[in-house]
Amino acid sequence: MTLSALNADVIVDKLNTGEVTATDCVQHFLDRIQSHNGDLNAFISISESAVEQAESIDQLRKAGKPLGCLAGLPIAIKDGICVAGQPTTAGSKMLEKFSPPYDATIVEKLKSAGAVIIGKTNMDEFAMGSSTENSFFGPTANPWATNRVPGGSSGGSAACVAGRLAPVAIGSDTGGSIRQPASFCGITGLKPTYGSVSRYGLIAFASSLDQIGPMTRTAKESALLMSVIAGFDPRDSTSSKIQVADFLKSLESPLSGLRIGVVREHLDEGLDSEVNTKITDSISVFKQLGANIEEIEMPHTKSAIAAYYIIAPCEASSNLARYDGVRYTFRAQADDLEEMYRNTRGQGFGDEVKQRIMLGTYALSSGYYEAYYLKASKVRRMIKQDYDEAFQKVDLILGPTTPTTAFKLGQHTQDPLAMYLADIYTVSANLAGIPAISVPVEPSSNGLPIGLQLQGRAYEESSLLQAAHQFQIATSWHTANPSEPWRTQS
Amino acid sequence: MSNSPEQPIAEQPIVNRIAKLARIHLDQQQLESSGNKLEQILDFVSQLEQVEISEDVSPFFGAIESVNAIREDQLTPSVSREKILDNAPESDGEFYLVPPVFRNTDS
Amino acid sequence: MNHASNPQSTNRRVVRFDQSEIIIGLEVHVQLDTDSKLFCGCSTRFGGAANSQTCVVCTGMPGSLPVINQHALELSIRAGLSLNCQIAQSTKWDRKNYFYPDLPKGYQISQFDQPICGPGYLDIEAVENSSQPRRIRIERAHLEEDAGKSIHDESNRGQNSKIDLNRTGTPLLEIVTQPDLRSAAEAKSFLSELKLILNYIDVSDCNMQQGNLRCDANVNLHIPFGEEKIATPIVEIKNLNSFRAVERSITHEAQRQFEAWQENGFTIADAPKQTRGWNDHTQSTTLQREKEDSADYRYFPDPDLIAVKIEEVQIQQIKSQLGSLPSDLRKLLIERYNLKSADATVMVSQGRGVVNYFLEVADGCENSRIANNWIGQEVLRQLNESNQTIDQYPVSPQQFTELLKLVIAGTLDQTRGKEVLNEMVEHCISSQEAIKRLGIKPVDNRELVTLCEKLIAENQEVIEQIQSGNAKAIGMLIGQARKLNPNANPGLIKEMLSKMISS
Repeated sequence: MTLSALNADVIVDKLNTGEVTATDCVQHFLDRIQSHNGDLNAFISISESAVEQAESIDQLRKAGKPLGCLAGLPIAIKDGICVAGQPTTAGSKMLEKFSPPYDATIVEKLKSAGAVIIGKTNMDEFAMGSSTENSFFGPTANPWATNRVPGGSSGGSAACVAGRLAPVAIGSDTGGSIRQPASFCGITGLKPTYGSVSRYGLIAFASSLDQIGPMTRTAKESALLMSVIAGFDPRDSTSSKIQVADFLKSLESPLSGLRIGVVREHLDEGLDSEVNTKITDSISVFKQLGANIEEIEMPHTKSAIAAYYIIAPCEASSNLARYDGVRYTFRAQADDLEEMYRNTRGQGFGDEVKQRIMLGTYALSSGYYEAYYLKASKVRRMIKQDYDEAFQKVDLILGPTTPTTAFKLGQHTQDPLAMYLADIYTVSANLAGIPAISVPVEPSSNGLPIGLQLQGRAYEESSLLQAAHQFQIATSWHTANPSEPWRTQS
Repeated sequence: MSNSPEQPIAEQPIVNRIAKLARIHLDQQQLESSGNKLEQILDFVSQLEQVEISEDVSPFFGAIESVNAIREDQLTPSVSREKILDNAPESDGEFYLVPPVFRNTDS
Repeated sequence: MNHASNPQSTNRRVVRFDQSEIIIGLEVHVQLDTDSKLFCGCSTRFGGAANSQTCVVCTGMPGSLPVINQHALELSIRAGLSLNCQIAQSTKWDRKNYFYPDLPKGYQISQFDQPICGPGYLDIEAVENSSQPRRIRIERAHLEEDAGKSIHDESNRGQNSKIDLNRTGTPLLEIVTQPDLRSAAEAKSFLSELKLILNYIDVSDCNMQQGNLRCDANVNLHIPFGEEKIATPIVEIKNLNSFRAVERSITHEAQRQFEAWQENGFTIADAPKQTRGWNDHTQSTTLQREKEDSADYRYFPDPDLIAVKIEEVQIQQIKSQLGSLPSDLRKLLIERYNLKSADATVMVSQGRGVVNYFLEVADGCENSRIANNWIGQEVLRQLNESNQTIDQYPVSPQQFTELLKLVIAGTLDQTRGKEVLNEMVEHCISSQEAIKRLGIKPVDNRELVTLCEKLIAENQEVIEQIQSGNAKAIGMLIGQARKLNPNANPGLIKEMLSKMISS
């Protein structure tokens, strides 16, 4: 069995026993990137120091020095997360040559656990998109069907894990940007509770919604990564001080007695019938695992997309004001200050980003704040209350991650609303701040992955990981790999 | 892309104003297309008006509430000027340089 | 409506400027005296090399996040309490969005609808015509971060502007008054008192040269016109960084508004709020922008920060540590130490250290008049000359008290006393040591008699002058006496000479 077929926890074991060296492991994935990234465009940049870092870990191991729990494990990081001295573009021309002088907190944590960053993954510009087509560096292809999108915005991270160019990856999720691409690419993706994982060093899209999380093949690998990246960070004011759970330990507990809620409307309206069937089939798996299924009401979640498309652009319009041509890399030619601003931002941002900045600027402008941002924030409260009430009755909420399987490249690029609806089931968790995970279920008849979403109470990622892990013990959908060479799918 | 100063576009004064406020140069065609998309999305989000919300509902701005996040008044090392200015498109090694507020009228 | 052609324009010419009332509100930006910036650990020290005091947070580097400085909160509460403000139970942060090259994030973190300090007031002493002390209402005071510094090409030849971000993120408290001030002098008086208070409570050194206290003034006129009172359009004068600029710009602006009104008759309803800048060189205000087309700040809650809850216990604790405020001390000096109002004002204006020094000396020597004379004149002059603060003054209050006791007892006359003081300051020694160094010792009666006899014998001309009625001429003899024996007490000599001459 080649290394790329193995799960991260197995690789870590082999590294620990000395069966595999970190250098060989890192080199193996770098080779795969070398030969396959041309097909996927999953990476924007490759770390030049990865082999060197692996070598030093091997030396430390040889010398019997204590090593972190991920020592020697290759990992891919979404390019919206700062890695000191390495290009960090957020998928934008605006930051094409940006090299942050600092590590994001999670990068610091991963590095000190011994993980080796092998590259930065492609994404929709500033995480705005659901297909990774809005990247200045070109779209990423889905390894299950290279003429289809991998989802987005963390499409590069999803595609590289599905295509086995990296064993595991880190993404970020503002409205579904971890879970939706995980679903499209047939992998597991966790959006943690808002505040569970530090945002320090994550290039902001919408600060009150953004959250970093793991993108892996299995729930167990996600638990492994969470045990490293979660926890309080004094540099992030929104970071939670709540004690981090032992994510790995709770995985093995059985699900008997677990109460799982299902929202009837989420299985009806606008849902692809095949997706519906596979999700419904999975419900019986959970029943067999001992869970009780109950129907619940989430009356306000139908307004979630509308609220999201006010709140996120408003925050983004302000978060992206710093890209003005003064301090970071791109500046357009200009004779005076105003022209510099307008040309830099006119040329440095892609269309979707400009569109969302326009929308956010409009919604926050004088006279509109109450009608838009304030109203949307009140709807957000109602959505949160829906969850609060639901979690009185059930422990988890189950449903589809996305209404369809991966769509074709270019299919929705001219229709923003159709694109936005790809997030219809995912945005509510961001609005409420709760954790949610996507796991693969039985693929569609034409072989495209389908994702099932589980949502849980705030700070109860461990329940999600446990349920996902138990599901993955009972099923094998997560073990499927797209057969190489990767093909298109009409 | 036209570099001439924006003429107020009669049909779309709002879009023009927003583009100015956001400091984004859009040519006439982009302004039109942006205006159309804006209208489409605003039309979509107008469904929020239908959501009934009682007076006592307070807005929810973020996920964590009621915890004070503060730091002690302690100095931490600044980043070296060289490193900080490294990403600037134009600097003289001491300052960031930006075009003048008013352009040179001689040229 | 074309006001200029209104027949009333001639009537407007009849109104006199001094009939109108000036309405002034101030927005004062005070730099809080913290070591580190409001949201990061960079130093707030003034005068560092350009861009040497910045980090990823205060330069708004992508991915960086702010965390609030606790001390800045405490200083704001302290300031609010000293201005009788209500302190918010919960305060939050908002973004004020606008583009400027020295504003790295493209927004300023400020406070919009839940400022840390709510309504309060500050009483100021009477100025000029108004005979009563005046209560100036404070509308609010909020915390915000400062921007950096832009250095524009003064030649206007289209050279690049230079940006220095050292100041970016320095904590500012913006104190906003109600439009309660009625003259330029009152505005100045308000600012002086505010500055003094903030000094007293260690919130800010208010160093205006370093820009640690900056002020915007909102000014308009109420002009009696026929039956009604006309309000002229409000003008905001920006960035006044000296008391003189505040005073002069308001005086100038009032006059300008009056003339503009006579000219065009525009009232507050006819024109939007204007922003004008004060030009120190031309001593006039010039239009910067009309508020109407100004930035639309798009305030909204900063999602990177969470609300701060302020407990009553914390407020009470800060209150208990405030100490006496200038107004309390003025009252104390006047009522308990019998100082004249003007003397009390001078003493208190020197800062808490000087007042404490005075109190200790006055209590020690039990003569507040002499203590005031000596400290108010000698000590302040010496501090001024040596550019020292009272903490650096080499003479301790105890030593000073000892000196004054000798003066009060007549052991040292004023002149000798001052010599002793100078010696004490110069060599950092006690009064006893200074007296020894100067060779001062008591002169006994016999010595004095001998001295006087010698003077009379050698100065017959002067004696004759005195005898013929020129009593002042005795001063010449006293002067000579001091040359012959510096320890001779001029009072005793005068007394003895007078007696000997007249007998």
